[in-house]
Amino acid sequence: MSIFVQSLISGILIGGVYALIGIGLTIIFGVMRVINFAHGDLLMLGMYATYFLFTQFHIDPFVSIVITMPLMFLYGAFLQRFFINRVLDALPQNQILLTIGLGLIMSNTVMLAFTSDYKILSTRYSSSSVSLHGISISLPLLVSFAITTVITIALYWFLLKTDTGQAIRATAQDREAARLMGINVKRMSIIAFGLGSALAATAGALISPTYYIFPQVGSSFTLKAFVITVLGGMGSVIGATLGGILIGVAESIGGVYFGSGWKEVVVFVLFLLVLLFRPSGLLGKSRT
Amino acid sequence: MRAKSSLIIALVLTLPSFVFAANAKVKIGFVNSITGPEAPIGESLTNGVTLAIEDLKKQGIDVDLIKEDDTGKPEKSMAAFEKLATSDHVGGVVGPYPSKCAAALAKLAEKYHVPIIIPVASKDDITRQGLQWTFRLSATTNDYATILLDMATAFGKPKTIAIINENTDFGTSGAKSAKEYAAKKHLTVVAEEAYAPGSPDYRSTLASIKGKNPDLVFMVSYVADAILLMRQSREIGLTPKAFLGAGAGFATEAFAKEQDISNNVFSSTQWTQDVKWPGTKEFAARYKAQFGKEASYHASTAYESMVIMGQTLAKAKDNPARAKDLLDKGSWNGIMGVVKFADYAGYTNQNNHQMLVEQIQNGQRVTVYPPAYVSGKKAVYPFPGWTK
Amino acid sequence: MPSPSFIRRKWITSAGGKRVIPLLLLASGVALLALIPLSVQSTYALHIMILTFVSIIMGSAWNILGGYTGQYSVGHAAYFGVGAYTTMILLQFRHIAPWYGMWAGVGATIVTALIIGSICFRLRGPYFVLASIAVAEIFRVTALNLKDLTNGAEGILVTELPPLKFGDTVITDFTTKVPFFYTGLITALFVIFVTRGVQHSKLGYYFQAIREDQDAAHSLGINPALYKNIALVISAVFTSVAGSLYAVYVGFIDPGTVFSLDVSVQIVTIAIIGGIGTILGPVIGAIVLVTLSEALRSNALTNALIHAGLVNADSRVGVFLKENLSHAHILIYGILVVIVILFMPQGLLGFARRIVTRKRKG
Repeated sequence: MSIFVQSLISGILIGGVYALIGIGLTIIFGVMRVINFAHGDLLMLGMYATYFLFTQFHIDPFVSIVITMPLMFLYGAFLQRFFINRVLDALPQNQILLTIGLGLIMSNTVMLAFTSDYKILSTRYSSSSVSLHGISISLPLLVSFAITTVITIALYWFLLKTDTGQAIRATAQDREAARLMGINVKRMSIIAFGLGSALAATAGALISPTYYIFPQVGSSFTLKAFVITVLGGMGSVIGATLGGILIGVAESIGGVYFGSGWKEVVVFVLFLLVLLFRPSGLLGKSRT
Repeated sequence: MRAKSSLIIALVLTLPSFVFAANAKVKIGFVNSITGPEAPIGESLTNGVTLAIEDLKKQGIDVDLIKEDDTGKPEKSMAAFEKLATSDHVGGVVGPYPSKCAAALAKLAEKYHVPIIIPVASKDDITRQGLQWTFRLSATTNDYATILLDMATAFGKPKTIAIINENTDFGTSGAKSAKEYAAKKHLTVVAEEAYAPGSPDYRSTLASIKGKNPDLVFMVSYVADAILLMRQSREIGLTPKAFLGAGAGFATEAFAKEQDISNNVFSSTQWTQDVKWPGTKEFAARYKAQFGKEASYHASTAYESMVIMGQTLAKAKDNPARAKDLLDKGSWNGIMGVVKFADYAGYTNQNNHQMLVEQIQNGQRVTVYPPAYVSGKKAVYPFPGWTK
Repeated sequence: MPSPSFIRRKWITSAGGKRVIPLLLLASGVALLALIPLSVQSTYALHIMILTFVSIIMGSAWNILGGYTGQYSVGHAAYFGVGAYTTMILLQFRHIAPWYGMWAGVGATIVTALIIGSICFRLRGPYFVLASIAVAEIFRVTALNLKDLTNGAEGILVTELPPLKFGDTVITDFTTKVPFFYTGLITALFVIFVTRGVQHSKLGYYFQAIREDQDAAHSLGINPALYKNIALVISAVFTSVAGSLYAVYVGFIDPGTVFSLDVSVQIVTIAIIGGIGTILGPVIGAIVLVTLSEALRSNALTNALIHAGLVNADSRVGVFLKENLSHAHILIYGILVVIVILFMPQGLLGFARRIVTRKRKG
């Protein structure tokens, strides 16, 4: 029983970070209908920024988000403005290949700059934990979960209450209609990609104290982000939040009851089942 | 008198050829993972080879080194070898790092009659196919597991063992060897977990292992996951009698530096900085001075392989066939101890290399087993628990 | 009475003429290719050509499903892997020669394709793309974990290849690359031929109708599910053959080499860079990408500059190029992919065609 609770808790905590990755991807997809294969690479850039700030300026990873987030927002906006915008009307496979190409450029530039060595970001609290009734809870994960919660709430507020947020949601619902209503769709796309990449980078920053960093680290997170967004319903922010936590828990508990080797299969089978029986995702509006 | 003068004439005649031999020029191909997922280790190999080229130059052997990237993929390594053998006409090849690439190249070496020294790819099968042109310097995957269990059973009386391994070639075969050898040593395997590398969370797996309370925890992982597994073991409070790491990630400087989690962990290794093999200390110091990092066994095996290939080719006048014979018969004694490519126990041209066990003691990597190679400090056994 | 020039023109553009000249060109091209192993001594060149053939097979196979039918699968590694694994398991553990094993691989792939099709074809657009990725990943993880069948992560290393015999005469013992060259060449030509057949047949029209508008196609009485599955099976079968050929040629496979997302992406890249929905697009894509990535990998540019005497090998520039270009080849590859997508959205073939027509007009 205690193993179950232990897995559940660590699954939820990790799931919080997954949720951030998923939310970023879902916003990008919602607004642009582009599957971003470079999403994990954006996360990787966030990790390296955090690592760089930590080793060069001794800024704590959790604090450095304040710098990393706006920086990566600008970078995402730049990518959208100069690259993605040009293929919005192209065939979907061209969009995919473009993001793959951009991802290759990012990871290999980082490799030239930082070498391909694994970087370990060791803080004082990297392996500290609090114990509650025989269940240990990782301290850095707990903090990152708290930060994730704050960011997610702020994001909801932004999307629901501000004019820009509403314009983004309108664009996501119907691009053409939004254009006719006088919404600057191009600008919304730039903001959306900026937001998506800022969120991915934040997720990278949040896990860097407990994880490791190398140029190709992104690919496994890209796959995970796909699963999360489909699970939650592509374009649904609440869905991605739930999807992230669900995947975190499924991996954690699947690892105990099916063995670590099969836990990925558990996740992908779950993914296929959702695709088949609720292709719009758990919370997405049904769309054909 | 006559005999004497003819002797002098003979000496004078051979002198120039000596001088010539001293300035020998050889052409060697070096297939390595410069990019791709194996690149971090590839870099260690490159550094080791760089030092070897310098030393060969001091010995009067100029190496025309042709570096080829295999990106960690077998078909790319094959392309590299084809190019080296048929268009660069190298005398011999050193590399590559990933076992799957090494397996592919072993066959090509046979086809093109170009000798290849594999520094550290450890898949057992590579030298078990009776191939005549493939020489391996390092010990094989099997040895990473056996030496650790030999040590653990020599230090105490463990009864149970949990095996955690990365779901890769090295990880799976390492775990398999551990399981087989555990049975011979009358150890009960209480848990077997093969995990997919790259997951940020192993806590649930470690918690279930903790529930089985094993005496030994045997792990096969690369550096990043080694650190992750140990960090999370500490979080969960997993405390066996010993943590045994099968080389790879556990025998690295990066792991040793993480003192909170690496202290008292054992690791099998091909080479340590304080082992009593000739030139080891100098090599370690030079490496550190030149590259700002500590030398790993990947670097030392690459260094020694390149030195052996360079010297052999110089002797063989860059002739691959002659080089193969010299490699077959020769014996070297350098930073990897005595190297002899022998046929034994189903192996062909395999160096029966002595594996070592090191323990991390306050960030220092100390050789603790076998006794003959211990240089001072004693092993800490059993594991004294986590420092708070 | 028509003038002679009119007759000539008619002759060239008539259905018969359309066939004669390209056919002659094709036949002479094929004859030249077939003679290559006799004249080219460099096995390095042969190796690159064999890899190119495998890429042509993969790219053209994907093209039938992705290019003509508009189903953008990013999970073709599943079929590549099933072919490779079936052949290798039979060869290494059951001692069944690969030229039989390959057909078993094709059979297994057809079953796999029909199962995957029944799942994925219920989805459209981006959902189909993601489902295809997920299925391929499930295959990869399963191959990793079914150790008794696949030998897991340790992969399968072929220790010996039986000679191909006809009666008692040994046709080839596979010590050279020549048999692989011809197998690759013939299969590549065959897949191009099939693509051509598809393009000019009713089947091809159905495929393209589904690509342009699935619902409209349906209302015209075309059964989308049926024809998507037909396209998938054709596509999967050739991908599977490419997998078997690759596996036997390299002599080693593991789940990461044949089932990974990289393989799927590579397949899609070949087709898109060349130009999808055309017969020759994937062929051009394969030739360009294989040669380019090998040239970048082996740092051919630097070597050429040094050879030409433009850069001194020991000068600062030479050393810089030698050290850095070998690290940067995947970066350059990525940049080229981005450039092609942005400036040649129809692929290299489409780009070339546009230039030609523009010149004609201008």
